[in-house]
Amino acid sequence: MLKQEINELLTRTGPGTPMGDLFRQYWLPALLAEELPEPGSPPVRVKLLSERMIAFRDSDGRYGLIDEFCAHRGVSLWFGNNEIGGLRCAYHGWKYDVTGQCVEVPSEPENSNFCSKVKLTSYPLVKIGDILWTYMGDPATQPPLPEYEFVHVPPEQTYTSKRWQECNWLQALEGGIDSSHVSWLHSAGLRNDPLFKGSKGNEYNMNDMKPFFEVVDSDGGLYVGVRRNAEEGHYYWRITPWVMPAFTMVPPRADHPVHGHFWIPIDDENCWVFTFDYQPVRALTEAELAAMKAGHGVHNEYVPGTYRPLQNKDNDYLMDREAQQRGDTFSGIKGIAMQDASLQESMGPIVDRSKERLVSADSGIIKARRKLVQAALDLREKGVTPPGVDPAHHRVRSAAIVLPKDQSFLDVASDALTARPGVRQATV
Amino acid sequence: MANRPTLLNSCASAATAAEARYRIDAAPQTARATRVVALDAGAAEIVRPLPEQPWLGAHFLRYQGDPGDGDLADVMLTTPDGQRVLLSGELADADFVMMIATTGDGAAAAAAIGNACTLRGIMTAGVILGSDDAVGDAVTALRPHARVLLVSKDQRDVSGVLTALGA
Repeated sequence: MLKQEINELLTRTGPGTPMGDLFRQYWLPALLAEELPEPGSPPVRVKLLSERMIAFRDSDGRYGLIDEFCAHRGVSLWFGNNEIGGLRCAYHGWKYDVTGQCVEVPSEPENSNFCSKVKLTSYPLVKIGDILWTYMGDPATQPPLPEYEFVHVPPEQTYTSKRWQECNWLQALEGGIDSSHVSWLHSAGLRNDPLFKGSKGNEYNMNDMKPFFEVVDSDGGLYVGVRRNAEEGHYYWRITPWVMPAFTMVPPRADHPVHGHFWIPIDDENCWVFTFDYQPVRALTEAELAAMKAGHGVHNEYVPGTYRPLQNKDNDYLMDREAQQRGDTFSGIKGIAMQDASLQESMGPIVDRSKERLVSADSGIIKARRKLVQAALDLREKGVTPPGVDPAHHRVRSAAIVLPKDQSFLDVASDALTARPGVRQATV
Repeated sequence: MANRPTLLNSCASAATAAEARYRIDAAPQTARATRVVALDAGAAEIVRPLPEQPWLGAHFLRYQGDPGDGDLADVMLTTPDGQRVLLSGELADADFVMMIATTGDGAAAAAAIGNACTLRGIMTAGVILGSDDAVGDAVTALRPHARVLLVSKDQRDVSGVLTALGA
């Protein structure tokens, strides 16, 4: 249970809020690179942290993320024409470059310098891997660029998708930290999903439905270790890293690609889920890529032409009660991603955590909330840079390992939990 | 009878903020009977001020040793006001035990409490407080006996977790 004022603090990320200030300390995924594929691509509406913006790529290929609305009459620049050197408002022709600087006001005289005095708010937009990243905080404290492994492996080793989730970001993030739901909600996926099935770890998962948990601080956030019985004298460990504020990785299975998520607030009642799969040391196979693009694993199918999941609340997520009765799915919803999203959206746009009844197996969630609150308050009151800003904190991995019962996963698995170029993931 | 939702898109209407207003407002009846046991002197110092806070029935206890009556299956504890009580009595109506440790000194206590809880079907957790290099023995001591372990440098996590769990 959480006091209502703490729930408010954690869930509100608009400008000027404590959690909004916290998020504005980090580089955040803003778009997929495929949304601005080439110089002069059509502009794209972007809303992050309750701020509406336009992303575009100018004729020189430079990326820009600027206030959505023209300084003149407040028209959306989504209707603008992406011309040589900038984006021109469709109403009266005011033109802006990728920094938000107005470079032309057609109604002014030829030699007027009026446009130089007009500038829209803008944020940097940088392509790393398949993602366009932005930093929405004070330019004076802009940190180094992110170093998450999945965006730094060669392009043929990584794949990222994104989907719109219609609830507050924290509900979605908490699903990424909560390992205990996997054996229930995703039980069928462990048997039949092409990006999950066939792992020895799946057998351990399903043979021990009452796992033990260990939650440990890391430099950037937490490690949540879950252990189940394996062969005599051994435990099977699945270790999930959380890097503040919104990055989680799923422990791997067999030689399947390693996957994870960023849970990024759009506004207080919607979020983007950026979902990645990568192989640290080999290219993704055609079969793996095809499965991801078909919505298997932690990806999903889409309403054509959008990033809205095909299964959504307007069609009851295509609930299939017969599949549920047969045991093909545990909740009647197809696909691991939408199994999570459907339940998290069912909690309402912002769940009232003052009415929840947590159990000790939720200790990872409890500790994550406490770290977020503490970091937000330390930032506000003392100016302390929060965990997860330092790129060294990004170089983490999830791991799945079998260890003798007397060994701590932290002592033995520290290498496995660190991103190491050219070294395979630790998996069972 | 066909198993049909009232509307084709019932999830869409049910998941709105407006509909959230109609959720039953009464708190679910899920009272928890929590016992918090400090296993060593450092843990006892951390737990000592906690009884002053408002709790929903949690008992705060300190491990003292075996009861001296030959019953190796039981454990002697003390309450904040110095009363000596037996673990078996404290567990009679408990459903959750949280052990607090700062060192590995409480290994025997953790084993006794963990075994007693296992026999009675009582959930166990452990909070281990200290720096990374100092808590290894405590982790080893508690791991077999606590279904959930939280290793932390922040002493406030004890009250924070207990509050979150409605103790």
